[in-house]
Amino acid sequence: MTYFPIRLVYPPQGHFTQPYLALPCIKAWLQQQGFEDVGLVDASIEAYDRFLSPEYLARAKRLVEERLPLSRFESRSELSFGEFAAYRGAAEAAASADAVIATIDEAKRTIRGEEFYDIDRYTPAVRTLYQGLRLVSAAHHPSELTPHNFSMRYSNERSSEVLAATRDEVENPFLEHFRSTLLPRLVADKVRVVGMSVIYGSQLVPALTLGRLIKEALPDCHVTAGGGFLAYIGRKLMRAPGLEDCLDSVVFHEGEGPMAALCAALRDGTPLESVGSLTWFKRADGRVETIENPPMHPVRLDAAPTPDFDGLPFELYFSPRLVLPYDINRGCYYGECTFCTLPTVIGPGYRTRRASTIAEHVVALRDKHRTTHFNFITDCMPPGMIRDLPDELVARQAGITWWSDARVEPKAYTIEGARKLHEAGCRKLLFGFETATPRLLKMMQKGQSLKSTVEVANNCAAAGISVTFYAMVGFPTETREEARATLQFLLDHKDAVREVSLQTFHIDEVAQTYHEPDKFGIRIIDDPSKDIELYHDYEAASGMSQKEAAEMFEEMMAALRANLPIFAGDNIFFFMQKSHYFLHLAAGASPEEFAERARARADQRNTARTSLAWRPARGLRAVPLSHPHADVVRAMARPEARAVRPDFLTGRHEEGALEAAIAAIPPVARSSRVLWWCGETAEFVETRPDGAAALRALQAAGDLSKLLERLPPTDETGRAALLAFARELKKGGALVEDGTIATARASERHGETAPAT
Amino acid sequence: MADPTQKKPEPKPASPTLHAREERAKDEALEVPDFAKLDLRVETVEERISPSETNVFDK
Repeated sequence: MTYFPIRLVYPPQGHFTQPYLALPCIKAWLQQQGFEDVGLVDASIEAYDRFLSPEYLARAKRLVEERLPLSRFESRSELSFGEFAAYRGAAEAAASADAVIATIDEAKRTIRGEEFYDIDRYTPAVRTLYQGLRLVSAAHHPSELTPHNFSMRYSNERSSEVLAATRDEVENPFLEHFRSTLLPRLVADKVRVVGMSVIYGSQLVPALTLGRLIKEALPDCHVTAGGGFLAYIGRKLMRAPGLEDCLDSVVFHEGEGPMAALCAALRDGTPLESVGSLTWFKRADGRVETIENPPMHPVRLDAAPTPDFDGLPFELYFSPRLVLPYDINRGCYYGECTFCTLPTVIGPGYRTRRASTIAEHVVALRDKHRTTHFNFITDCMPPGMIRDLPDELVARQAGITWWSDARVEPKAYTIEGARKLHEAGCRKLLFGFETATPRLLKMMQKGQSLKSTVEVANNCAAAGISVTFYAMVGFPTETREEARATLQFLLDHKDAVREVSLQTFHIDEVAQTYHEPDKFGIRIIDDPSKDIELYHDYEAASGMSQKEAAEMFEEMMAALRANLPIFAGDNIFFFMQKSHYFLHLAAGASPEEFAERARARADQRNTARTSLAWRPARGLRAVPLSHPHADVVRAMARPEARAVRPDFLTGRHEEGALEAAIAAIPPVARSSRVLWWCGETAEFVETRPDGAAALRALQAAGDLSKLLERLPPTDETGRAALLAFARELKKGGALVEDGTIATARASERHGETAPAT
Repeated sequence: MADPTQKKPEPKPASPTLHAREERAKDEALEVPDFAKLDLRVETVEERISPSETNVFDK
């Protein structure tokens, strides 16, 4: 047997709560085709786990102190907008770094263990992870790594900038990371093929960074990449000068067939011209030529093997239970929606596995990996599958719970159908609702009525299935009034619709809206300087402009956060961390029960009630500041400030946004403050120096009642001031109330004895 | 490291005052401050999760 090691790599940055599916599918297929040494690497979770380690965070702290010392800002009479991000990073690192370094391992254990299910333990743990990533980001300022994104100052729309980002030793954290971790392993294994899956724009720079390092270290290794994002821009990318230093080829559409053919050709030394769906660099006589091969037929999905997840570091995902993804079909059987560009990503046509095959695979995966939790990857299940799959799962006593995307199918999601789905383990469905405006639904060719959408949602809710709606704002010609009517519709049905995934409308190059703009009353704006551009600005003849749609998004999201319990305050972490809300449902909580828990938690935080038992949170750390941190953070939340960062969904930088923000956002004047990191709650609070002295007095006394006892009985004014101060501290997380399981556990954690309650 | 492009440093802010207050509070833990005379304003930043990052299912 020829020694021919293949590694399939999921580059940073992707979700950190569960594994990614496509590479295990390709691994299983390659093994079926006779390739024995096929390894999986989730480089995204490896990076998150390493970055969120005490050792790496200590390194990050040192880097922040070197690159963004707080002393740099102390003498300034005012800070301008251009300095806000650096100042925030410096101030937060100074206040929180030591504490986050000390508690990060415990936060990870909480999220990966049984304490995940204790809502009061979960939230500070997630906050600690977020703060850890802010520290990592500050160390590589102005780059930002969050649980959902990685962005740099460089534009993803220009290849020259993307390539520059792959060489930036200071701001690209993945250069050092790959050199220290993955690259030595690939070199030691003398890997012959590396296949990367790039499904998000946030993975582009890390993937090309890794590609460059591999090509430098292993000249004989073929580096290829595929995935949804490259399906859009791969052709342009492969014509960009300099790309040949990072990649050898790009695979389009599904990867099984092309990867098997590519690996066979490379192993056997046969020409790459015969590998379908491959665009590759032909290198000869010092010249590089881009060759586009014709497309390959997709594989027969029902004959594809069970995905093989072996080799993935399950213990590293930030979830207490393993949630395995599994694809029940590929493509969309409906395929009419005018905004959808799915065929570009997954290839033409609709393919499905039989319900019996799905159940067989799921049971095999359940037994192999000892998990009963699944995320079915599908754009929608056809009515026949909605009927058949539950029967198969029940007949095989699969005993699983699962969630998936869905299309409104009133004939399938009847009361009886929904009950059957729940019996078969379905706990959450995400429907493409889009809008409550029938005129727009027609333009979108959604093929669904509001009446049937509500009926389906109510049937699912009645059966105990949590319903999420995907909604869209800013579809061409949509007016503000129509968007507000959509919002009202969502709020009117909040007892059935627990979550809303809202997004602004974007035009990408393969959408019908791009190719037939007249039909939608828009004019597309092209920018020739962007050689790998995917999304385009447009001007609308009627309805909201892009800017107005962005403003409407803010308005709608604010209303959703005010009205949906899972969106209130920091409950939104459950929505944001993929599968985390689902895991509560899988553990037996009904959507109503969880919503009630979330509502009670939000109410408790907002209550005006004062408790004399409030005590300072453990792990309080203070740093004196020259300028108000809170003012800086608030300013950075303004729309003009957010426009400076690349758009979350598209990754686009807005031209002139920085200049506009500097003009619109006033500087922050010097004023002495104290920034507190509250270790127990993992929140920041800012006081004046007087407040710091008062909080120290509270710490010395032990709790609010003991400090109040020391006030002269006649000092009504002082008492009122102290109580008002305490209420604000409580809101900010600097004071906590004992008597809950959470605080008792916190006491153990900090090696202290919990006060009697 | 100081930024060499900056102008002449202005006087440092009130951190010595802060330290003095804190030390006094520690040393005289039983001496209760006159809360009525203190500036007890508190700034909290409710949630810093960008609304756009709440649309996570497509990411």
